Amino acid sequence: MTLWKSLDKSELVSALLLVALGAFVAGEAWQWPYMTDDGPGPGFFPLWIGILLIGLSALLIAMQVSDAAGRKPVARISWAGTRPALLGWGALVVAAGLLEPAGFVVSYLLLSMVLLRLIFRRSWTSTAVVSVVSVACFWGLFVKLLEVRLPAGPWGF
Amino acid sequence: MDVLTGLSHGFAIALAPMNLLWCFVGVFLGTIVGLLPGLGPSATVALLLPLATQMSPTSGIIMLAGIYYGAKYGGSTTAILLNVPGESASVVTCLDGFEMARKGRAGPALGIAAIASFVAGTIGVLLLMLVAPPVAEFALRFGPPEYFALMALGLSMVVLLAGRSMIKALLSMLVGLWLATIGIDLFTDGDRFTFNRIELVDGVHFVVAAIGLFAIGEVLANLRPAGGEQQFKVPKGLRNLLPNWQDLKDCRFAFLNGSLVGFFIGVLPGAGSTIASFVSYGLEKAVSRRREQFGTGVIEGVAAPEAANNSETGGALVPLLTLGIPGSATTAILLAAFILWGMRPGPLLIQDHPDIFWGLVASMYIGNVMLLIFNLPLVPLFAQILRLPAHILYSGILGISIVGVYSVDQRLFDVWLVAGFGLLGYLMRRLEYPAAPLLLGLVLGDLMENAVRQSLMMSNGDVSILYSRPLAATMLLFTAAILVGPMFRQFNIWRLRAAEQEA
Repeated sequence: MTLWKSLDKSELVSALLLVALGAFVAGEAWQWPYMTDDGPGPGFFPLWIGILLIGLSALLIAMQVSDAAGRKPVARISWAGTRPALLGWGALVVAAGLLEPAGFVVSYLLLSMVLLRLIFRRSWTSTAVVSVVSVACFWGLFVKLLEVRLPAGPWGF
Repeated sequence: MDVLTGLSHGFAIALAPMNLLWCFVGVFLGTIVGLLPGLGPSATVALLLPLATQMSPTSGIIMLAGIYYGAKYGGSTTAILLNVPGESASVVTCLDGFEMARKGRAGPALGIAAIASFVAGTIGVLLLMLVAPPVAEFALRFGPPEYFALMALGLSMVVLLAGRSMIKALLSMLVGLWLATIGIDLFTDGDRFTFNRIELVDGVHFVVAAIGLFAIGEVLANLRPAGGEQQFKVPKGLRNLLPNWQDLKDCRFAFLNGSLVGFFIGVLPGAGSTIASFVSYGLEKAVSRRREQFGTGVIEGVAAPEAANNSETGGALVPLLTLGIPGSATTAILLAAFILWGMRPGPLLIQDHPDIFWGLVASMYIGNVMLLIFNLPLVPLFAQILRLPAHILYSGILGISIVGVYSVDQRLFDVWLVAGFGLLGYLMRRLEYPAAPLLLGLVLGDLMENAVRQSLMMSNGDVSILYSRPLAATMLLFTAAILVGPMFRQFNIWRLRAAEQEA
């Protein structure tokens, strides 16, 4: 129980996820030929990557358990500030989803407004002015000046 | 025609008003393209190919080459200011360049990148002029086992990119190697790890992974409500915005190291500027007296990879001009230009078309001077970007990231992918997994797998081919020394600690 308490769970979960990734990579590679008549097959390289991923992640877990058992002072990972990061990431994902149906201008405008208003807590006026000016700068520089093709919504921009 | 006569003939051609103009157009376009993440020099050279073929071959190749080496000057700017690597070779520049910007030294970082690019670009051309034919013949001795050894040497740089935990750095590299296997297997034509997505058939684009892990990861880590103020210090006065004498002195070895490593790796077809920048950074760190400070904003950490990145251009032109072998996408398009002009680069190019070879060489000297004059005054201007308050800067970085990845292939899927890599970058930062080894694995994985498989095909499965040839064996010995070195240091620390406890 004490051992479990002294373990940094986020470190443990990350190492376990890597074990799972290693198992997936090795499992997939196992289905492809390891050696062919011409030499190594498509399964050769990924199989070794998977095995090494599993081995090194297991070693990382063993070291974490050993540190926790030895009561070594473990530097815990700080998760402060995760909420605004996840909110920002969520806004980015929504903006990516809107790129095709609504176009770059609308999706970036919304992304910028969410960041400024909900994360940086800017006033409504500042949020609106900065977002509109940023979008105009991006549109002018990339689409008009450099002729980069960006997704356009039903209204043509 | 000896070298001096050839060079003076070349200068007479390159200094002709029209050729000077096309050289300027090339380096100007190159710098702009380099500034924008996603838009690479190969795409721009391809776009301007029809225009270039309407020009005389000498003017055309001067302009196209100008885009090629000009793009390398611009690539470091967004890496240093925004942690957005404009091209794959700028990833290493992010490590110390962005940390310098954080500390209020963005100006000297940008300045040293321009100076390193100039010095190395010039050394690269000098070497291209002096040693092109013998070096090209040497490069031909590089078979798959030598490439495998070179890739192993490149991957061993993970030791120098590791933060507090070597195991985490190795795991990060393995994830990168796995990502490199995604897509079509060129040997069997079967697809691997594509999850039935057609967009993954070509694999994971390096720029998408780099922008997600570095730029978006950085933004997510810095999103907090109290972000209304200016995020970075930008000192006032021109003197503080350019490198000082001490900075230049600190970078002496980095200039030389980057120039030589960049040139010789550039000569090898397929190796590219990314591996050159990683290797020169690793070498610089290995010999530095303050190696523990690398990654925290050391100026040599910017100078070495930037020098390698630019010297690589001279190197990459060696196999193209002397053997007709293109080593990268951009040099392949340059080869196409030569063919469209009705000539075939090869051992007889210097003899049969001295105007083209010597005109190009001389124009590269002139182009590098133009780039320095053009870029240094822009440094104080670019550094002002960091005066922007955090809320404008970070939302702007997200916008540039979306535009950058979308402009690579005009695919929405890449925007989803960059968001995924952004979250991964954020989590890796929190969990203290370094991101640079992942990118190292992603860049070198494909080349390494091909080299291993081709080698074992050559030897019918006998693995001794990987270490029995002298050149490969030498590089593998270097690799082993780099990998084992830190273990010895760790062993020594344990030994001393044990001795202290016993006493």
